[in-house]
Amino acid sequence: MEQTRVLRFGAFASFVNVFGVYLIALFFLLLGIALQALGLIQNFISLSNFLNILDNVSLLGIVAVGMAFVTYSGNYADLSVPTTMALTGIVAVEMLRYGFWPAVLAATTVGLLIGLINAVVVGKLKANPIIWTLAVNYVTLGVIRLVWANKQIYPETITDNKEAIGWFDGIFRQEVFSNLFGNPLLDIRLPMVFMVVLVILGQFVLTKTSFGAQLKMTGSAKKAARFSGINVDFVVGMAFVLAAVTAIVGGLAITSLSRTGAYYNGAGYDFRAVTAIVIGGMTLAGGRGSIIGVLGGVLVIGFINNIMTLIGIPTLSQDMIRGLIFIIVVGISAKSLRSLGRDDS
Amino acid sequence: MTTAKTKNSGTSLLAVIDKNRIYIIFAVVLLFMAFFAPKFLNPFNLTTITKTMAMTACVGIGFTIVMICGQLDLSIGTVITMSGIIGLGLKQFVGYELSVPLAIVAGSLIGLINGLLVTKAKINSFIVTLGTMTVLQGLIYFVTGGNSIALSTPDAFAVSDFLSWKIVPLITPRVIVTVVLVVVAQIILSRTRFGRSFYMVGGNKSTAWLAGINTDRTLIIAFVLSGTTAAIGGVLFAMESSAATLNLGTNSLMYVISAAIIGGTAMSGGKGGVIQTFVAILALEILYDGVILFGLGNEVKIFLAGLILALVVLYEAFAIYKHEKTVGQRPELVKELQK
Repeated sequence: MEQTRVLRFGAFASFVNVFGVYLIALFFLLLGIALQALGLIQNFISLSNFLNILDNVSLLGIVAVGMAFVTYSGNYADLSVPTTMALTGIVAVEMLRYGFWPAVLAATTVGLLIGLINAVVVGKLKANPIIWTLAVNYVTLGVIRLVWANKQIYPETITDNKEAIGWFDGIFRQEVFSNLFGNPLLDIRLPMVFMVVLVILGQFVLTKTSFGAQLKMTGSAKKAARFSGINVDFVVGMAFVLAAVTAIVGGLAITSLSRTGAYYNGAGYDFRAVTAIVIGGMTLAGGRGSIIGVLGGVLVIGFINNIMTLIGIPTLSQDMIRGLIFIIVVGISAKSLRSLGRDDS
Repeated sequence: MTTAKTKNSGTSLLAVIDKNRIYIIFAVVLLFMAFFAPKFLNPFNLTTITKTMAMTACVGIGFTIVMICGQLDLSIGTVITMSGIIGLGLKQFVGYELSVPLAIVAGSLIGLINGLLVTKAKINSFIVTLGTMTVLQGLIYFVTGGNSIALSTPDAFAVSDFLSWKIVPLITPRVIVTVVLVVVAQIILSRTRFGRSFYMVGGNKSTAWLAGINTDRTLIIAFVLSGTTAAIGGVLFAMESSAATLNLGTNSLMYVISAAIIGGTAMSGGKGGVIQTFVAILALEILYDGVILFGLGNEVKIFLAGLILALVVLYEAFAIYKHEKTVGQRPELVKELQK
């Protein structure tokens, strides 16, 4: 009797954990509609605006999927993501002179190298993940500043290879469905497709593979995981590599879309990704949450950004609101987990 | 009894070096620059070092205390910027007499918020301070509209002149304030029961609580101190240069974290000291100053600062890794390592 009650409660709690964030998204959707009804903002309700919202957060979504693995493994966040994005983009632009694919290959190598370093130091040597990835972020920034100073580099000035530039410029601007079906209404660019594919892939890895199960165990109880024979060092390291992989995709996309390689590409993506992850129901203690939830978190961020922009809050000041929401959500999540007796953090 | 004795008499040279490593690093860096860096011993250059050091060292006081408690305060950089903006921005309305205290109180308030969120809402301090940092950043941009504040009134310049007045060579009022704060903080930390409680909380929170320490209050005080010293450092620096830019505190976090760890403050808490952080900051400033003197430019300096932080964290992690690998397996090996 007692047990069934607990079980039911657990099922309900996990339902809220996964889909509760979509209720929050719905709340912001309704908020936007209400604000438009009151005449405070215009153009919120339209297909093009909704596509616009998705388009704006697609890069964040890509990055957040990888970082979610780090959070899930109980290592909070990978703060080296912003400069990983910047460096991969810069390297790609710089290597365009040798063609499009060599550029992508070089960028991927550089990004993976950062991921592997994080994997070894946090996974094997068990350095504090926040301080270590922050240090890596500074070092990568230092490398960029050392080699390219404060300069921005553009594909056109690097090479005359029109084909490579065309590929690099065009690839993330591909409008997949309008090309396929000839419907301009479905103005969906490649990053959005990438985001959806990565979310599905991430959710699959997290729930259906043995790596996902090992990650869950590692995230929720590291010692128990080690004693049950899981290679904890490898699992944690792999999470950081996955974060680097999505950062590479995000870095290439942001550089291609802005047609600029610069040290500030990717700035702020660390914090925004953590916010999306936490709003999406993943707890910072690790081992709880889902990638589908993270997508919901990304959507919430998209709605919030869109509403703030429509109200007319300058982009740089929007951090104020995002930060507040972040703290509140983390506080609520910690408190609710504690009251359920599921968390002692 | 005998083991204690052998431990004392048998401390190897390496252990002594590791314990006092920061003073040795400081001496080595200082001697190297004195011999090799061009114009290093020029009084003008030395004064530049002490001036730059003053802000970071001031910020380092509170940061070290937070780290001794086993927590981390990532918001210090933006608190520095904020205090500069408040101190200079409100001056034209209420004058320095009121705007400077307001700036410092604002810093304490941010610390109080951090402390309350860490202790009462029980959120991890990295996350809390990452959040307050972001909120503050947005707030600063919102209030200033992205513009720096520069004062050019005679009285502002008078204050600026006073703060950069060399009482004796190398020593300006700001340096004195910083050194006094560092010494007072160190005395409190190592000589009073209140100060020792920070170490207790950082070493083992439950034990500290069982020993009758109000752990929540201790943590909150640590965060308040961190916010306060960051604000003092920031506002004094801004007053001396009569300008508050939006990137005033951008690199401070990197410098202060590396200095604290080099100085021997453990990331896991319970170990460290304000004096050591101070000496480490001095050593780092000398190093960065030397980099510029060698004509290597600001880019190299930023790169080096990041690299040093990474190496220090790596060294620290490796030491703990080595220690943990041996713990519980061969007690005699652990003993040998600890010598």
